[in-house]
Amino acid sequence: MKTSRWVISLAPGVIGIGLALYFFLSYDASHDHIVYLRADLGALSLLFGLGLSILAALGFALWGWVEQVRQKAAADAAEERRRFLRRLDHELKNPLTAIRAGLANLTEVPSEDGRRKALASVEAQTLRLSRLSADLRKLAELEVRLVERSPVDVPALLHEAFSMAQEQPGAAERHLNLSIPQAPWPLPNIQGDPDLLLLAVHNLLDNALKFSRPGDTLELHAFEDGAEIVIEVADTGPGIPEEEQPHVWEELYRGEAGRGIPGSGLGLALVRAIAERHNGRVSLRSRLRQGTVFTLRLPAGLKQSVTDQTQPVSKV
Amino acid sequence: MQPKPSILLVDDETAITDNLAPFLTRSGFEVAVASNGEEALEKVATGHPDLLVLDVLMPRLDGREVLRRLRQGGNWTPILLLTQIGEAGERAMALEEGADDYLNKPFDPHELVARIKAVLRRARPGQPPLSASNRLACGSLILDRVSHRVLLNEAELTLTPKAVMLLEYMLTHPDELVSRERLLDVVWGWDYPVGTRAVDTRVAELRRALDDDPGAPRYIETIPGQGYRFVGKVETLP
Repeated sequence: MKTSRWVISLAPGVIGIGLALYFFLSYDASHDHIVYLRADLGALSLLFGLGLSILAALGFALWGWVEQVRQKAAADAAEERRRFLRRLDHELKNPLTAIRAGLANLTEVPSEDGRRKALASVEAQTLRLSRLSADLRKLAELEVRLVERSPVDVPALLHEAFSMAQEQPGAAERHLNLSIPQAPWPLPNIQGDPDLLLLAVHNLLDNALKFSRPGDTLELHAFEDGAEIVIEVADTGPGIPEEEQPHVWEELYRGEAGRGIPGSGLGLALVRAIAERHNGRVSLRSRLRQGTVFTLRLPAGLKQSVTDQTQPVSKV
Repeated sequence: MQPKPSILLVDDETAITDNLAPFLTRSGFEVAVASNGEEALEKVATGHPDLLVLDVLMPRLDGREVLRRLRQGGNWTPILLLTQIGEAGERAMALEEGADDYLNKPFDPHELVARIKAVLRRARPGQPPLSASNRLACGSLILDRVSHRVLLNEAELTLTPKAVMLLEYMLTHPDELVSRERLLDVVWGWDYPVGTRAVDTRVAELRRALDDDPGAPRYIETIPGQGYRFVGKVETLP
């Protein structure tokens, strides 16, 4: 394969040189117009041949590069798939083990109280599996479903997400702050699906609540940055180790600290999918033992014009 | 004593039929089981059940095909589809092709019983269900389910797609208490922590557009702590 590429690349050059030599060598001294033409033909065929060679070589180089990129992408996708399956397997194993143990207890434990406990545990584990399956479906559906484009009132959305966070378990032991700029002008609308965007902010806050400790501070801010609306959820929690940071947005990923914490491991993956469906992006900055800030950037919608009839639908 | 309603439960997973059939029997139904589409068609022809609980994904003849063949043959036995994929397309298909209702797997068996009872109550023997009709009307409110347009007093309303889906579900299930969780499942296909508020937002949007007073509703009534109910009289239009 490789040699054939070399042959194809070099052939035009060699033929060009050969033709040029032939034209030059067959040059005789008679001052004829034809001779000049033959000399020019030599130069021309040399140039043409070498040019074709260079083009062919460049073409092959580009082709090879594209091929390499494609192979790398395929290998990455395969690796991602393997990783996902490994995590899914792990995620299924624990509840299934618990269910089997619970069922064994059900048949063997003599006391009524023990049986009731076993039954409750089996039920809790099946609910956990149901939630996992529901979350997986959400992710799969998010990738294909049509995303609604309505004007979304960002401050109203943030207030709603914030008030829900305040009702969450553990919220009372943490300091929760919300800051939304009023000056120099209020935040513009986002064009999008109000329910999905609310879910994204909710998941970020939920995540921060889960991974911070009592006494920590949680902040939800939003501001305008050029053509984007930036929504940040910051905490003074334990922080995320540097090697784990690129993975936290992945499906079913659990960091070292996340082992004992309940949840499907899909919350942040959902946030990323929602951001991407809105042409936005997610990122994070974190320092160990200091805290983490999760950032959601979304393109600001057009300013509401007079002809815009639809009202923001996320008004509380 | 009234005869028990008879139900044909169709699913290829014996793990599901083995556990659901006794549960349904205990809930007061006469239960027969079929494990694939062909068997289901045979048992419908011979046993005339009052209702079918039909799984979509099955070998040989899937639930969708069973539904289509029954409806094309003019058989309007109420059908409750068990959908699995949870895609919006699957749910839309279920109602468009004449299923009376559907439930996403995995579900709570109590919810299945509630759905079955609601469908049986609504069923008009031998007649197509509201969900098989392309155009529905409630007074001057008209829903065209093919073009997804809503007309009120002959003027078209501007509604978000989800509000239209919500209205569609309410109109095809009149006089039925529909929980927020159920509406969430119908319109979004999945439940999530912020969901029940999202339902309230869409209902508020519908009420604004329909000029419906929650205090004296013509269309959507709030049942405090439980959900919503469509109170208007729904008719099918040709």
